[in-house]
Amino acid sequence: MSGLHWLSAAEAAEAIRARKLSPVELTQALLDRIERLDPKLHVFIRLDRDAALEAARGAEAEIAAGRPRGPLHGVPVGIKDIIDVAGLPTTCHSKILIDNIAAADAVCVSRLRGAGAIVLGKLSTHEFAIGGPSFDLPWPPARNPWNTAHHPGGSSSGSGSGVAVGLFPMALGSDTGGSVRNPASACGIVGLKPSYGLVSRRGVFPLSFSLDHVGPLTRTVSDNALMLDAIAGHDPLDPGSAAVPPGHYTAGLERGVRGLRIGFIRHFHETDLPADPEVAAGLENVAATLQKLGADIRDIRLPTLGEFGAVNRVILQSEAWAIHAPWLRERPGDYGQLARRRLLGGAFIGAGDYVQASRRRLEMIAAVENALREVDVLMCASAMDPPSRIEDAAETERTYPRQARTPFNVTGHPALAMMAGLSAAGLPLSVQFVARYFGEGMLFQVARAWERAAGTDERHPPID
Amino acid sequence: MDKATVELLARRAGLEKALQEFPDDVTAAAEQASGWVAKMQAPREPRTEPWPPMKPGTGL
Repeated sequence: MSGLHWLSAAEAAEAIRARKLSPVELTQALLDRIERLDPKLHVFIRLDRDAALEAARGAEAEIAAGRPRGPLHGVPVGIKDIIDVAGLPTTCHSKILIDNIAAADAVCVSRLRGAGAIVLGKLSTHEFAIGGPSFDLPWPPARNPWNTAHHPGGSSSGSGSGVAVGLFPMALGSDTGGSVRNPASACGIVGLKPSYGLVSRRGVFPLSFSLDHVGPLTRTVSDNALMLDAIAGHDPLDPGSAAVPPGHYTAGLERGVRGLRIGFIRHFHETDLPADPEVAAGLENVAATLQKLGADIRDIRLPTLGEFGAVNRVILQSEAWAIHAPWLRERPGDYGQLARRRLLGGAFIGAGDYVQASRRRLEMIAAVENALREVDVLMCASAMDPPSRIEDAAETERTYPRQARTPFNVTGHPALAMMAGLSAAGLPLSVQFVARYFGEGMLFQVARAWERAAGTDERHPPID
Repeated sequence: MDKATVELLARRAGLEKALQEFPDDVTAAAEQASGWVAKMQAPREPRTEPWPPMKPGTGL
């Protein structure tokens, strides 16, 4: 088979099940592509070539013996380097943890392996999933495959870049203030922050306990649902894990949007943080397309992005400080400057401020819940600007907070970001959908309707 | 937040080393954090509880 790197996870798994494609052939093809493109993109911190090929040979033998493991049998996956993979370092892209070897797989990795996935290695992130693209760390930052002079978003930067450019069809990321949805937006793919508690965080290095989510990044909506099917589920050893029955997220993908009520939160990008005109036009195009497909588009108002952002940052910095204080006291020089500046902030937030943020959070949850009584799904901007130039620190600093992702870390609602189109300069534009708690199936249904109408899954970066 | 307050709070948090080696980063962090706190609106209703709540009998 040719063009193996553009196979979706579902297509690859189907071809492997039908014995039309060998897991070894697929893994080798992706490893060859990684060897060719990763020097330009810096997606990997650690490529585990030998283990991946060994796992692929095992997967091939299991298929030959008629013993497929699960729906992702033989499909390669990349893992953000804050997530434990047994035997490999979990560095969090930091000198602080450069020798931190994981004793066991994180639950989400273990579940992917249980479904048959093959781990290729560990992926670039912003240091400790905070900060930004940094050039003072042990590894360079990942770059955007649509234009390598641009930022791929973060903090799950390697996950976004690698999926978009066909180094692997799926990756795991984490999202505390938008870190799955930001690279999905910047790289023109599909990124899901599931409902809080749907995917176990055990074995994932924390940034902020009550805001952290683990989520899938893929090129297609269908693959995202397939991956969530594999990783979702109650974990009694994760205190935040929700005891909800697993969904069958691939089941309702093609139901369309006819008759659905979609609440468009226009004030996020019109008045709270006025968006780049191309971003705004892209959002209106998505709304108009969904309306043509039969959806009822209504305006919805929520608290402002400024309010959501403040609550997110007060909680995030307080919880992150609790984790990092010992290292910040003893080894401040072992952090890159961006992460050091962000993480030190928690030292200056009082206990009372943290409690007030946690109380305000409850009111924000009520506001989103009320909105979701009026409509089936919310729609809004993800990023307010196309991806910044990665070496322009001032532009990155300006555009980074101009986003509408943090509200749904504060409230814990599931939120999905995906491509809305391309800018005149050929950079991805994005849209975000938000659903009720554990309503990921509805999110996928709406996202798939847009994907099918716009053909976003067929657009790939012009790098080769 | 004035310089003396930043230094006082940083020392209370055990950040002498950071203050010595990266004084600009400590100042920038303090300014950013106080900015976030200033932008946050506290609930007006005194009975509003923090989230997530204490839930005895559930979890581990």
